[in-house]
Amino acid sequence: MSEILVYIQIVDGGAGDVSLQALACARSLADSTGGSVTALALGYDIGASVADLVELGADRLLVAEDDRLSHYLTGPYKRVVRSVLDANRFDVVLFPATTEGNDLAPLLAAELGCGCVVGCDAVHVKEGKTLFRRTEFDRKVHTDYEVTVGPAIATLRDGIADIPALGERRGEAQSIAVDLGPADTRAQVVNRDVVPKTVNLKASRVIVAAGAGVGGPDGFALVKDLAEALDAQMGATRAVVDAGWLPADHQIGQTGVTVRPDLYIACGISGAVQHWVGMSDSKTIVAINTDKNAPMMKRAHYRIEADLKTVIPKMIKALSA
Amino acid sequence: MSVHAVVIAREMWDTRDLVGPVLDANGAVKPGAVSTRFEPQDLNALESALRIKEMVGGKVTALSFNAIGDVDVLKECLYRGADEAIRIGANPIDLDTAAAATLAAAAIRRLGDVNLVLVGWTAAEGESSVLGSCLAGLLGMEQISFVDRIVEAGDEFVIGRRAIEMGEEDIRVDLPALLSLGVALIEDDPRAPRPAKAMLKLKHKKTEIPVWSPADLGVPDPASNATTVVAAMESVPERVIESTAVDPEDESGLKAMLERVLKGE
Ligand SMILES: Cc1cc2nc3c(=O)[nH]c(=O)nc-3n(C[C@H](O)[C@H](O)[C@H](O)COP(=O)(O)OP(=O)(O)OC[C@H]3O[C@@H](n4cnc5c(N)ncnc54)[C@H](O)[C@@H]3O)c2cc1C
Repeated sequence: MSEILVYIQIVDGGAGDVSLQALACARSLADSTGGSVTALALGYDIGASVADLVELGADRLLVAEDDRLSHYLTGPYKRVVRSVLDANRFDVVLFPATTEGNDLAPLLAAELGCGCVVGCDAVHVKEGKTLFRRTEFDRKVHTDYEVTVGPAIATLRDGIADIPALGERRGEAQSIAVDLGPADTRAQVVNRDVVPKTVNLKASRVIVAAGAGVGGPDGFALVKDLAEALDAQMGATRAVVDAGWLPADHQIGQTGVTVRPDLYIACGISGAVQHWVGMSDSKTIVAINTDKNAPMMKRAHYRIEADLKTVIPKMIKALSA
Repeated sequence: MSVHAVVIAREMWDTRDLVGPVLDANGAVKPGAVSTRFEPQDLNALESALRIKEMVGGKVTALSFNAIGDVDVLKECLYRGADEAIRIGANPIDLDTAAAATLAAAAIRRLGDVNLVLVGWTAAEGESSVLGSCLAGLLGMEQISFVDRIVEAGDEFVIGRRAIEMGEEDIRVDLPALLSLGVALIEDDPRAPRPAKAMLKLKHKKTEIPVWSPADLGVPDPASNATTVVAAMESVPERVIESTAVDPEDESGLKAMLERVLKGE
């Protein structure tokens, strides 16, 4: 039997996607082992936005609200989660594998002296043991970890489970006291610079993505024209986001979003593993690259060995003809 | 108070663009299938420590484990300007993160006056390393994770900048503290991290690096501190994609291809 705690990260005032996937994963784990699921959300003025977590799989919802929790900061957040872990017995504690989850989970594990596996792609039960699966070695190897000193703490990557539709389930919501001391607020955020979300790439069926191969504003404008001609959203590699050509929410990959569109057109993208993990489940991949040996060219369904500056105008022309 | 920074430098599998199978028939990593390198995030940790030393003075000590391949990361630290290097005489492949952290924490305590620890946040692949967090927990130090850049440092504080979803933030901590470094430093600044210096290579040609055994550190059986085990490793079946070349000069071919992919074929 598994008693499971799921940490729900608040994103844009509501429960984040990866946290909801973690909740779905916890639900199926609890159903197969006969345990129950507790969801924990921290923030300020979030009550209403997390109320439907009990219809998304939680048997119990704990909400900690305090103005000192209005933005994530390690110290106070760790204190609150720790107090929940001290007051309850959990066998498994799941976090989303986001900056926040990957920050909190291992620190809590170190304090509790228990085991932690970050960045898991799957959780499964085998011969009564809960195993946490990571994909390693350039995505060539699946490694299953067993945590030998519990509670087992893990962070789960985007794509771990589908978010279910709202169900009938009714759990209890309960607010918990926030008790912070000076030691919890020693570190301070002296500056925070966050841009609002501009795009939801996950919902896009067609994505035209730009890489460093666009070379500059002219090449970038061409990729943008192609996206418009296809009525597609634009994705990007980190190189393009770092160059300031597109906002951060266009970045696809390990530190960006994971997408699964019907069609993915990679323009001037080498196909580094950190990008590939974010789009490898695309149904059809088209690659445009001057280097036929680029990893993306070897993995694409259709490969066009060409300078994107000459071939994209032809593609746009073909689309309008 | 001056800064004594310890950098954890790890030799790691180089998992970039691996060709061919990694595992043997028994599900173990094949010798020779993967080479090793100086973990890039640890190299950033070293670079950050050296920059803090340049800003406020102090000392940088590099700490590592026994070699698993051909890269002597501790010598590489000395060649880049670390003042001192110490090897923990244990094979890191036999240790999970918690066990490795117990040894590293004991070594840091033995050094005595350490008030700053820097380490790569995690090896991107190949292990479930969260060594920095484990160390921060064991040493009771405040932590800033995913630091990309040192914004400011003084004798008694550090301000680190880190990327968060959709932006970045600067966090100030008082020393003692632990910083875990991300990868961005390498990518953003072509001069960073600094390369080995010929002069320092000469200087350290004969430098003997002291080895502290687990017994010296009061942790005679480090593996007993493990909190995870690898239950199984298996090769991921390759996704076979039938790749079709499209002639960029053939406009009707391009058009036909676009029509096919838009129809989901
Ligand atoms: C921990 C970590 C996390 C990371 N997270 C991410 C992430 O989330 N997302 C991400 O994308 N990256 C990420 N990266 C970076 C990643 O490793 C690569 O550096 C990045 O994806 C490369 O981007 P790129 O393909 O645009 O550039 P490059 O690798 O420079 O490739 C450019 C390509 O364009 C081609 N080209 C050049 N000129 C032309 C032309 N005129 N026409 C057509 N083709 C041309 C070249 O042949 C080349 O293949 C991460 C790295 C690390 C270490």
